[in-house]
Parts: sequence; structure tokens; C-alpha cells
Amino acid sequence: MKRFEVPIRILFIVLVAIIAWSLRARAVEKLNIDFDEDDYMRAGQEYTHLIRTSNWSGFLDTNYRPEHPPLAKIVIGLSLLSAPEKDLIRDAPTTSEPNKYLPRELVKPARTTNAILGWLTVILLAIINPLAGLALATHTFTIKYVSQIMLEALPALTSFITVLAYLQFKKKEKTNWLITSAIFLGLTAASKYLYCFVGIAILIDWFLEAKSKEKIKPFLRQALVWGVIAFAIFFIANPYLWTNPIGRLQESVFYHAQYSSSAEEVNRAGYPFWQPFNWLFFSPIAWHEDVFLFAPDIWITLLAVIGLTRLWKRERVYVLWIGVALLFLLFWKTKWPQYIIIFTVPLSLSAAEGIATLWNQLVEWWKNRQVQRTTISKNEARRAIPWLVPGLIAFAIFTIFPLIFQVVVSMTDFNSASIRDGFQGGIWRAFWEGITGQIPISEWDGSRANQVRFTGLTSYPFVFNEIANGNGSGNSILFFNIMWAVVSVILQGGLGLGVALLLWQRGVQLGKFWQALFILPWAIPEMIGALMWFNIFQREWGWLYLAAEKFGADSFFGVFTRNLENSPSLWLITFLLPALWYGFPFMMLAASTGLKIIPKEVYDAAAMDGANAMQTFRYVTLPLLLPLLLPAIIVRGIFAFNQFYLFQTFYFLDGTLATLSYNVFNPTGYFGGGQFATSAVINIITVLILIIFVSMFNRWSKAEEGVVNA
Amino acid sequence: MHKISTRKQIITQSLLTLIGLFVLLPIWGMIRLAFDGSLKGRPTEFRFFPKEWSLTAFLQVLDRPYQSVEFSVLLKNSLIVSFGAALLAIVLGISLAYAFARFRFPARKQGLFAILLTAFLPPVAFMTPLYILLSILQIRTTLFALVLVYASFALPFCIWNMRAAFQAIPKEIEEAAFLDGAGDFRTFLNITLPLALPSIAISGLIAFLMAYSEFAIGWLFVDKADNVTLAMSIYAIVQSQYSGGAQPWSYLGSLVIIISIPVIIVFLVFQYTLLEHMLFGSAE
Repeated sequence: MKRFEVPIRILFIVLVAIIAWSLRARAVEKLNIDFDEDDYMRAGQEYTHLIRTSNWSGFLDTNYRPEHPPLAKIVIGLSLLSAPEKDLIRDAPTTSEPNKYLPRELVKPARTTNAILGWLTVILLAIINPLAGLALATHTFTIKYVSQIMLEALPALTSFITVLAYLQFKKKEKTNWLITSAIFLGLTAASKYLYCFVGIAILIDWFLEAKSKEKIKPFLRQALVWGVIAFAIFFIANPYLWTNPIGRLQESVFYHAQYSSSAEEVNRAGYPFWQPFNWLFFSPIAWHEDVFLFAPDIWITLLAVIGLTRLWKRERVYVLWIGVALLFLLFWKTKWPQYIIIFTVPLSLSAAEGIATLWNQLVEWWKNRQVQRTTISKNEARRAIPWLVPGLIAFAIFTIFPLIFQVVVSMTDFNSASIRDGFQGGIWRAFWEGITGQIPISEWDGSRANQVRFTGLTSYPFVFNEIANGNGSGNSILFFNIMWAVVSVILQGGLGLGVALLLWQRGVQLGKFWQALFILPWAIPEMIGALMWFNIFQREWGWLYLAAEKFGADSFFGVFTRNLENSPSLWLITFLLPALWYGFPFMMLAASTGLKIIPKEVYDAAAMDGANAMQTFRYVTLPLLLPLLLPAIIVRGIFAFNQFYLFQTFYFLDGTLATLSYNVFNPTGYFGGGQFATSAVINIITVLILIIFVSMFNRWSKAEEGVVNA
Repeated sequence: MHKISTRKQIITQSLLTLIGLFVLLPIWGMIRLAFDGSLKGRPTEFRFFPKEWSLTAFLQVLDRPYQSVEFSVLLKNSLIVSFGAALLAIVLGISLAYAFARFRFPARKQGLFAILLTAFLPPVAFMTPLYILLSILQIRTTLFALVLVYASFALPFCIWNMRAAFQAIPKEIEEAAFLDGAGDFRTFLNITLPLALPSIAISGLIAFLMAYSEFAIGWLFVDKADNVTLAMSIYAIVQSQYSGGAQPWSYLGSLVIIISIPVIIVFLVFQYTLLEHMLFGSAE
């Protein structure tokens, strides 16, 4: 087997390279002209003209769109040398629509050059990890932005080489690699600043490495040299800076800060702070018809989440790269989709590790499956039958059959137009005739016929696309739903634990009273609690808004409500506050049950060792309590994922999958109403997601015995 | 561990007060509405206290809260639906719960996982098929349909919890009964069931509360005012406000309070037991 490993690997890399190139070539050919392409085309044309006329000193003062350094634009200029000379593309403000009339003869070579750079990145990645190469090769966002006349392709490649060279240096400790790394960092900076975050990731990794080896001093020296070389290269590759370095550098850097806070298009886009995550769940497949064959982006993202721990163990710097880049993008106000290209390389690597993680678990499960097969006594199984049969019948009728029926409905186009036919057996007829091949599958297109039709699984991709990326709007219900579950549970857990700890101190006055008071929100049905908060946050007659009316626009209430309305992210707290209110008592109770179990002796021991309150909490209470809290956290997480009444009461009709399903279904509701089959598809997607969550619950509560049995 | 200092006591008490305010503020908002006799529709100006303290809203709501339906009818519907659903879920689930608690049989693990998974599904996930199935059976708009629907939501949860209840009873007690010559069924009826009953009752209580406070899915199934539950009538008042409704918001406030009070009492009494059940125990 070993003998074949290398050839197979090479074959795989070649295959990835072929896939990557064919997808990029197709994109170069078919993508319509996008925002900014005219700008960078013009920038390139200026350089082409300078080269043709041998006007080398012209480089000193040429940099169209000076907010970005010139290197990537010079490369575009070089690519146009072989093309016929055309008039300069006209200067247009950044707010203008894409210029659809760029000369085809220029678009092709410029795009192809970028695509080649993007292709080289894939090949390089495939050599390191073929699976990761495959992920990057098929990642539609990456394909799009490296195959257009954008500035992404070159820095994406050079930033990756920066990391590779650094890793070689880390392994072999040869200075040559360090210098290479610095050179490529400088080149990256000379193309697009944003890609330099890779440098920060390298510095963190380097520092951690030096710290563990207690070699901080040599690290500082080397890092300084590395930085100086990188800066020097940046300067050399940036002739625009030569005549007026400080002024022009300032100009370009300040431009971004100002653009981010005041540009009209940034404000108009109104993206919430978590928009980068939306882009990670998104695919431009919805924007460009007939360019991309399929959209693995969301799957690459999900696999990357799974692979993070494994990647961290293998090569920390890639995880740091993802982390630093994401953190910046979360806080930076400009949130254009192309920004995620700064970390799609490590993302692909993490996705590959995710596949490896899943594969290992599958193998382990398979092995354990054979070991755990214990013998069951026939006698006992026979005794179980009289108990099982009636229960199973009930369970089958009330629970299993509806779910199976739901699968049947999801494979039809049953909706309010075909309601009569459906109720008179049309659903079964369509399903039966379809599944036995008597009638062909009618491709699901959302249209409404008055006869139920068999659509097979064709509605699934459509509905999933709708959920995952809002069908092109860049707003992912699925991501919001997951983020909602995570954030609200963290808040609930935090406050619940905090209150439990406060009440747990010895000699707290009125402890019983406080606890009884804090349980109230839990005891109030969710719908009623939501109404109580709606009574505060409602836009016209909510308490807050009435207060703003009464005390004026400059009062606290006025300012608060104004911010609430204008910010693309702040509205989230009108949901998080009720969720926190409703959910923290449960966590408080769970935490205080847990605290009661921790033996007092542990604290005596900690006190004898001279631990202060902070240390005791960090090293004694928390590690003992967390495993006891874990089941509660997951249970609440699942409930938050399914949250329905809160969103329904607030008229946020597509907040979670459950809310969306209800409102798509509701015959008198929004979203067209009465789309029964679509609702069934959403429900089945929910069931599939919950299978993952419940498996997690099952595994963790098994390991820790759970609060109840402790 | 020693008692906390006065300084810490003050800090603790002020933090707790702050959280207490957070807890009470929205509740107070509702109470203020409920007791304000001056409201003609929705509130139009900011007030922290009611403009005119009055109990008329309560009296009105206790008479005819929704359209011309009497409060007693709504309450009766609520009780029928909630009791019916809880009872049905318990009765239908009990034998399966016992089987999973006491016996080993093929595919037991997979069965447990199926129960746990279905217990975690949102009610909405069952809504679609049940709506269509009950429509086909032509009973969708009846109270009985609501009983079936809510029982179906609660069944997996009840099975899971009753199983835990049976498991908590030591096997030795049952074995003693066997030695006396009792069969499986008699042992269950005379020994296990009585011991597990309190815990089963709590499972039923949770199912009851779920049905008692459900409104949205109820409205999908039922369309006649006579078959509406209390919780559903609240939602109807809210909805009617959007279409320029006629009832003052004090009605909404007082109905909310009336509905909540029994639930709050139940939660205060059974807090830790409820918590235990809602945590699903731990899987095997």
C-alpha cells in the first residue's frame, strides 16, 4: 500500500488542479461585471500605458484608487500589455453601479491573470493537504473574487506563502526562510493591507513558541528584523510612496477608517456586526446564474468548525489566522463579502481537518459497535413484549407516523391551492405514483397547481438555499438561528451562574426571598413573558417609545430608541433581554443544585493553600461545576434553537427555523401562506440538525452522569 | 468558609436588587396595564403607575374576555385540553417507559435515542403532519383534535421522564415481589406504579402546563370561538389590536395575570422537581 501512496497523492493533486482551473476558467468567462472591476481596470490601464511608453518615472505618481497600494494593480497592468490599447475607463464614484460596458478584450486577460494566481494558491494548498486544496478549489466565493478584476488574488497567494515560509523557518530554523516570509509579507502589504492580518497571526504563534521554549529575547530580535524587512519590501514594491512616503501612507490608511465610518454604501448596506459569518454561510451562486455548478461554501464552513481543534493541534498558526481575521472583520464596520477571502485558505485547511475528524469518529464508532454487542437474554426480551407493544403502537401513531408522513409531504408540492385534492388522498396518490415511477418528477419551482404533484427531493436544495443564505440577500436564517442559540445560552448561563454564586455565599440576607423572586420569569409562560417585553419594546406604544415621546429626543430614552432603530445590530438586544430574563432562572437553579453537591472540604483545602476568592472560583468551583451544568446548557441551547413564541410575539417571522416553518405554513399568514410542503421540508432540516445536537447531549450527559443523577 | 463581611453583604444585596428590578420591570408593565381603568385601547402615554386604579378589567375578563365567549367556557376548554393531553400522554406512554426502564431487548439504544430526539423537537415540527392528518380525518377544528395534538407534543417527553421515574425505583423491591409469586403485571401495578406515581404526576404536570399555555398552534387548528382556550384568547386580543381592535389593553393585562398565577404557584412549589424533569435526566 505504501508504494502507491505517493502516486495517488500526486494524482489527487493533479485532479484538484484540473478542477480548480476549470471552475476558475468558467468564472472568468461567465461572471458578469461587478462593482469595482472598472476601477481596477482603469488603474491597470494607467500602468500599461506607462510601461508601453517607457515612462518609468510615471510610476512615482500613479495609483488610481490610492486607498489600496499599487502592486496588485500593476500586475493587472502587466496582464493588459498583450491586449490592444483602449480608452481609459471613465472615473466613477465608489457608489456607482457596476460598469457593464468594459471592453471584453481587456477583461479577459486581466481576469485570467488573477485566476492563474488564484489557481496557484490552490495548487500550493493541495500540495500541503489535497483535501484542503479541493475545498479551496470549489469554494464559490473564492472562485468569484479571484477570477474578477479585483485585488484579492495576488495578496491571497502571497499571504499564504508568507505563512508557509514562516512554518519552514519554525521547523528548520533557517534564516533564509524567515527572510522569504518577510519578503512575501511585504509584497502582501503592497497589494492590499487587509491581508496583512496573517502577520499578526504569525507573531502570536511565534511568541507562544518562543515562550514555551523560553527564548523570548531571540524572538524579539528576529521578529524585529522580520518586520523591518517586510516594511522595506513593502516600500520598494510601492513606488507611489517613494516621493512622499508619510503623506501618502497616511492618506491611504485614513481613507479606510473614514470610508468604514461614513461611506454612503457602507451605511446603506446596513450589515449587522456578524455579517462575516453570514458570508461564510453564503454562496454567490444566488447572484450569478449559470456560473457555479454547486455551492459547497456552507459545508466548508461547517466542516471547518469541526476541524478547528484538530488543526490547532497540528498547526496552530492557521487557527490563529482564522481567529485574527474573523475578529477584525467582526469589529470593522465595512463588511464587503470579498473580505472573507483573506482567510479562505486556512478555512479550507480546517475543513479538511474536519473531514478527518469525522472520518476518525466513524472508524471509532464502527470498531466500538463490534465490541459493545452484548448478548440479550431471550427470556428478558420476551418479557418486554407485552409492555413494548401497546407503547410502541401509541408512539408510532402519535410521533413516528406524523414524522414519516412529513417526509411524504415534503416530497410533494402540497400547498393551499391543492388543499382539496391533498385532503382527498392526493398526497398519497402523488407520492405513490412518483415513488413507483408511474409519473415523472415535476421539478419544484414554487408554483401552485390545484393538484398535488410529486417533486421528489427537488425542493430540498431550494429551501435549504433559502434558509442558508436568504436566497441572495446575504442574510442567513440558519446562521442567525445557531448564533441565537449560542449567544442567548451563554448570557443565560452567565447570569444564572452569577446569581447562584451570589446567593450561595454564606449569610446572605433574604436569600429565600430573592430566589423565589428570580424564579418568576421561568414560571411565566413564554408567550406571556414575550408579551411583557413586547409591551416595552414595541415601536409605537411600547414603554420605551412612550417614554422617549414624553421625555424628549435628547433624554436617555430618546437616544436609546434612536440608536435601536438606526443600528443594524443593536436590535438583537430587544430579543436577547427577554431571552435572558426568561432563561436565567433555570440556569440559576441548575447551578445552585450543582453548588450544593460540591463538598465543603474542597474549599477548606483551597483555603489552607492560601487561595484567594478569584483563584478558588477559577480552580475549584468552576471545574467542578461546569460538568454538572453542561446538560442544562445543552437543554437550554436546544430550546433556544427551537425558540418560537418569543419571535412570533415580536413579529420577527423568520427569526428561527421553527418560526419560519410556522409562518410559511400558516394559511392566513405571511410569506404567501399555506406552503405546507415547504414547511415540511424546513421541519425535516430542523430534525436533521437536532439529531446532531441531541447526540452531543447524549454523549456529554453520559460522560458526566448529569445533574439529576449526581 | 466564613460568613461574608458587611461590605460584601451590601454589594451582594445591591446586585440582587438590580437583578430583581430586571425581573420585575416587564411584569410591572403588565400589572400597570391591568389595573388602569382609563385605557380605551392601547396605551398612549408613558406612565409608571395606572392613571385610574380600577378592577373593572378583571371583572370584565372574568365574565367575557374574548368576543362573546364566557370566561368559564374558555377555562373549561383549557382544562379539558390540558388535562386530556397530559392524561393521554401518560397513559399512552407508561408501558413503553416501563419497558425501557426494566428490560433489555434488541435495538433498545436506538429506541431511547428516538424518544430523546422527538422529545427535543419543537412542536412546530409536528404541526405540519398533524394538521394535514387531522384535516383528512375531518376532526381538525374540534377540542378533541387539540387534545390529540398536545398529547402528541408531550408524549416523547413524558415517556423519557417516566422511564427515569421507574429506573429510580430499586430493582430489589420488584424482585422481592417476584419471589412472592407475583407476575410482571401485578408487580408493576402493586409495587412499582405507586412508588413512581409522584414523579409521573410531575411529568403530567409539565405536559399540562405546556398545553395550558400553548396558543399559536392551537389557532391553526381551531377556528370556532367556542373551542378556544384561555391562552389562545390572549393571542386573539393581541391580534385584534393590530386590526384596530376594540378592547382596552387592561383586558389583556388582567387576563395575562389571571392565567399566570396558577402556573407561578406550581413553579414556586415544585421548583427543584420541575428542574430535574426538564433536564431530561441523563441518557444511559
